[in-house]
Amino acid sequence: MTAAPGPSAGVPEGDQEREQSAGAPTAVTSTPGSTAAFAAHASEGGPTTDEWRRVHFISPLVRGWIALVAILYFVGRDWFEGLFDSGSRGRGPLPEGVGLLIAAGVVLGVVVIIAAAFLVSWYFTRYQVTAEHVRVHTGVVFRQQRQARLDRVQAIDIVQPFLARIFGLAELKFEVADAGESAVRLAFLKLDDARKLRATILARAAGVDTDPEHPEEIVEAPEREVVAIPPGRVIGAALLSGTTIALVVAAAVIITLGVTLDTPIIATSFIPVVIGVVGVYWSALSTGYNFRAATSPDGIRVRYGLLDTRAQTIPPGRVQALSIVQSPLWRLKGWYRVTVNVAGYGASASNEGQARASLLPVGTRDEVLQILALVLPDPGTTRPVEVFGAGMVGRDGGEGFVTTPRRAKWLAPLAWRRNGFAVTDTALLMRSGVLWRQLVVVPHERTQSLSLEQGPVDRRFDVANLQFQTTPGPVAPRVLLADSATAWDLFHGQAVRAAEARRRSAPEH
Amino acid sequence: MRREPIDPSGLEWSRVSPKYLRVRLLGWLIGSLVWLVVASIPLVLRLTGVWDSFPPLPVAWALPAIALTSAIWRGLLLPRQVRAIGYAERDDDLLVRQGVFFQRTMVVPYGRMQYVDVAVGPLERAFGICTLKLHTASPATNAFIPGLPTEEGTRLREQLSARGEARLAGL
Repeated sequence: MTAAPGPSAGVPEGDQEREQSAGAPTAVTSTPGSTAAFAAHASEGGPTTDEWRRVHFISPLVRGWIALVAILYFVGRDWFEGLFDSGSRGRGPLPEGVGLLIAAGVVLGVVVIIAAAFLVSWYFTRYQVTAEHVRVHTGVVFRQQRQARLDRVQAIDIVQPFLARIFGLAELKFEVADAGESAVRLAFLKLDDARKLRATILARAAGVDTDPEHPEEIVEAPEREVVAIPPGRVIGAALLSGTTIALVVAAAVIITLGVTLDTPIIATSFIPVVIGVVGVYWSALSTGYNFRAATSPDGIRVRYGLLDTRAQTIPPGRVQALSIVQSPLWRLKGWYRVTVNVAGYGASASNEGQARASLLPVGTRDEVLQILALVLPDPGTTRPVEVFGAGMVGRDGGEGFVTTPRRAKWLAPLAWRRNGFAVTDTALLMRSGVLWRQLVVVPHERTQSLSLEQGPVDRRFDVANLQFQTTPGPVAPRVLLADSATAWDLFHGQAVRAAEARRRSAPEH
Repeated sequence: MRREPIDPSGLEWSRVSPKYLRVRLLGWLIGSLVWLVVASIPLVLRLTGVWDSFPPLPVAWALPAIALTSAIWRGLLLPRQVRAIGYAERDDDLLVRQGVFFQRTMVVPYGRMQYVDVAVGPLERAFGICTLKLHTASPATNAFIPGLPTEEGTRLREQLSARGEARLAGL
């Protein structure tokens, strides 16, 4: 982020930060005739983005359609039953026509009330995008006014649930570093508007120059597709996942039990297992389907989804940690999965949370390296392919990896040759796992804090564990069972390297 | 302070107030008594004859014995645990260490601190000490320094905030 005039800050309440960030636009607006090299100024002059706007008219309907369908179903069913029963059962003194009228009136009343509620909720939802902030006001009785700083953006998602897709609508999610709670959700906008808004926000956050005459004409940053995953591979990946192993084991157990006990009843217990497995396959397919990753000056773009589609944008330098995992069956095909920690995504274990955190649901080694190149443009080594390759599949020393010392091999009889770490100029690589191979990459400037831990058994073998703390997410970086002296060197060296890298990369957000 | 194997060399650890040991001992005493009483209930009921035969007598005796042993063990360990807590301010970061058997040394760069908490409980207030807690963008950063004298806690908080501001670096 190069356009910020000074070191921007991480402490949200920091005085210095407030001065810095508030300083830039006001200084520029006070001299409106200046050369307008600042995006902030250009966008302040924008006649339309600063004004309050409303989300799309039918969005409450799209959001609340399940409730609406439920109400219509119950009301409609009663009405239908009443229609057919009233004659035969002859309940009540009312003649048939009047009963029908009352039923119609009730339905109409309910619909009107719901429509009014939708209208009111729509009317009171407004948003505004200024040079520095995006603000959203919602609520009728309990009002909420939310404001998020543009330069604090950690990620922007455009989500299209199935119904919204039919209407050509999309939800814009603006994430700041508060671990998963979306700072701002605008649901729903027209897809084009959402895209335009995303481009505006990203451009302003990145300080990209805009045309001062036409600040609205922010073109979406051009993007280049890097990875596209064919649907066949997504299906294959799901079939080769751990779920399949579990299914086979469950089938074996149930069939064995059924044969030995000679009761067919056990077979019915298979149904919930199948339902569960199908659910897992389905979610893998629906979130991995049509997966595309692209790069643009705005950051990394990821798109995926079968029924609900989602387009994520991660601005540069927002990935806190990255892990490359290979499950045992994926080894047959040489597939890997790449997941990341991004401050805004949080550590949600839900399907959606997992899908959001994966930058590559299933990819070959080459694709993994390409994704790595997006996250870590400068690998900090002259032989990136060899080093990262060694991290993904290698064991023992070589390519700069330092492993668990031989004396401690009984603490990890299988993994000791693989446990290890390597340091490049820009990142720390940590590999572990024999069956589930894992390589974790943490850029130096993203190190939050680290701790060196040693239990009594570790002390006996003179080894220690190094634990990295990053923002919440699925990736937990740590170096296991390293030689004590080496671990201390790494601990100390990493603190120095992190400080170094932060100074070099400043100003950052 | 005794140097532990994973401690860095050439580093002077600041120790926490000896008063913190007294706070911990008080807490330990109360906690141990409660556990002892709870663990003794079956024994008392058995000896007074309210319960006939359910917990065999050896088991009923064993429960409070275990509670007592573990309490004594923890009590004996407390002075060492308190002595093991230390912190050191360096140019770019703060080091915090703790633990006797399971040792941990943590480094928190000043530029990574999001905010600093100082917490004082009633017992701590009586002894004039406080607990300092550091927060980074990662909730896993569990860095706290208990048992600081109040003035030292205040000084450290101001110092850390000032240094954090000087070395600001978002996420």
